[in-house]
Amino acid sequence: MSDGPLILGIETSCDETGVAVVAGLDVRSSVLASQTEEHARFGGVVPEVAARAHVEAIRPLVHEAVRQAGIHPGDIDAIAATQGPGLVGSLVVGYAFAKSLAWSLRKPFIGVDHMEGHLFAPRLEHAGYHPPAVVLLASGGHSQIVHVRGWGDYDVLGSTIDDAAGEAFDKLARFMGLGYPGGPAIDRASDGGDPAAIAFPRALRDRPFDVSFSGLKTSVTTFLEKAKAAGDVPPLPDVAASLQEAIVDALVEKTFNAVRETGARVVAGGGGVLANRRLRQRLAEEADAHDVELYLPSPALCTDNGAMIAAAANFWFDAGRETPWRSDVEPGLKLG
Amino acid sequence: MRILAIETATRASSVALGEDGALVAMSVLVDGRAHVEFLVPAIDFCFERAGWDPDDLDLVAVDVGPGPYTGLRAGIATAEAVAAAVGVPIVTASSLTVLALRAATGRRRIWPIIDVRRGQIATAAFRPVPGGVMPDGPRELVSPEEFHALLDADRNDTLIVGDWQMLPDAVFRGLHRARKGRPRYPSADVLLEIAEMRAAQDEFAGIEDLQPIYLREPDAKINWSEFREEGLWPGAAS
Ligand SMILES: [Zn+2]
Repeated sequence: MSDGPLILGIETSCDETGVAVVAGLDVRSSVLASQTEEHARFGGVVPEVAARAHVEAIRPLVHEAVRQAGIHPGDIDAIAATQGPGLVGSLVVGYAFAKSLAWSLRKPFIGVDHMEGHLFAPRLEHAGYHPPAVVLLASGGHSQIVHVRGWGDYDVLGSTIDDAAGEAFDKLARFMGLGYPGGPAIDRASDGGDPAAIAFPRALRDRPFDVSFSGLKTSVTTFLEKAKAAGDVPPLPDVAASLQEAIVDALVEKTFNAVRETGARVVAGGGGVLANRRLRQRLAEEADAHDVELYLPSPALCTDNGAMIAAAANFWFDAGRETPWRSDVEPGLKLG
Repeated sequence: MRILAIETATRASSVALGEDGALVAMSVLVDGRAHVEFLVPAIDFCFERAGWDPDDLDLVAVDVGPGPYTGLRAGIATAEAVAAAVGVPIVTASSLTVLALRAATGRRRIWPIIDVRRGQIATAAFRPVPGGVMPDGPRELVSPEEFHALLDADRNDTLIVGDWQMLPDAVFRGLHRARKGRPRYPSADVLLEIAEMRAAQDEFAGIEDLQPIYLREPDAKINWSEFREEGLWPGAAS
């Protein structure tokens, strides 16, 4: 009873091994081997640790995704994998597996841009989400504001000029002793805090769509070092809420600059940082104020997963794309 | 028995098909950055020339190193995907064994070497026995200087195989019992021979065997800030 092609999607660009079976835009199964705990010991993603974990996880996860979907591998119409951007040692595992599986099963193979996967993720839950749209992509590895003119037709309006938003959360959480990953830790720590308690800087007023978080990082660490020396450290919830507000402010402001610039009436988001409760709330408020539609994936589809790769591949399958057997991963792949 | 062998432990990738002990088709490329590009087209070429379908396979063999990890991971992922798709077992072999088995010697002790980058080589001693080779010492990761010392301490006549061209000449100076020989790279057709032997003894790979032979711990530096030890907000870490 599939309402579209049955696609197996494999994502291994960073530290999550994700495999999903998607029929049309209906997620039949989506399984994940998260390495968060392994990387937490190091306070961030260690590429060699990530690559080792992907090798161990890939085959059992593909079996599990196929089993949970209740299909036979022969039923699959196409197999897709993330081609880039990402860590080369991680990308290679999913890409080589997917390509070889497709060859063995005599199915088409589709290489997918990881960022395009995030762009498509909201479609899995929101049938009304269509371009033209402005999409905010923010995670530990990327921060971009993309004008989606049509599927497959992208204009990256702005990006981070230093740290990605998730990276800023990670570094600040580590500095504050909150553990890894930093985004969820700061989100939790901000409960009951006053976002206006401390005025941390919002950078790059002169660049309408770009963000920068290195100034904020310096400001927060300097502030806390001084406060500590003076024996007057503010309550954690206030610090967490205030620095979170600075990051959220920057992301929301640039996103809606893009909405005004493009005239888009649809806003969407993707990437792990979009799971942040304050960011979701602020985007919803601004969307109301601008009278635009907002489509955010549920938190499980914000972070990296195989279903979003299958969702993007679903579009390319219909468009007739077949990535050649000769293709390779592209760690530096850029959207648009 | 029809076997697909996949070799990606060095700059030389190769794929071979074998049937009942005979080589049927083989494809080789020497390019250390092209493992992912090479594998599926090479497999496709070999199957087409052999007139085989993936479903005709009985076994997949793969070299699990030592060697540079990215190439090995491409080979292992490919072997696992093909084996999973057609429902056949996998056998693994070490790149050092593949080199030693091909080394043409009846009596010399064999020292195969594999470049694992960052100034180190992987090596182990093998001795020739009728019909093959036997491991004759531990698998080690050594610097060129340490390799010289290993050879110097070996009282046997020795044969060094593998990519010894990449080592400085000084490594071989004064080693009167040592000879340098072929092969330079491990090759998938040798992997076929090992696979036949392993399969005959039911030595199939389990999940724990299907990863590169790691002789090094991952590089990772733990970089906690001093704030963490003292704790600005005790008990804040989740
Ligand atoms: Zn991502």
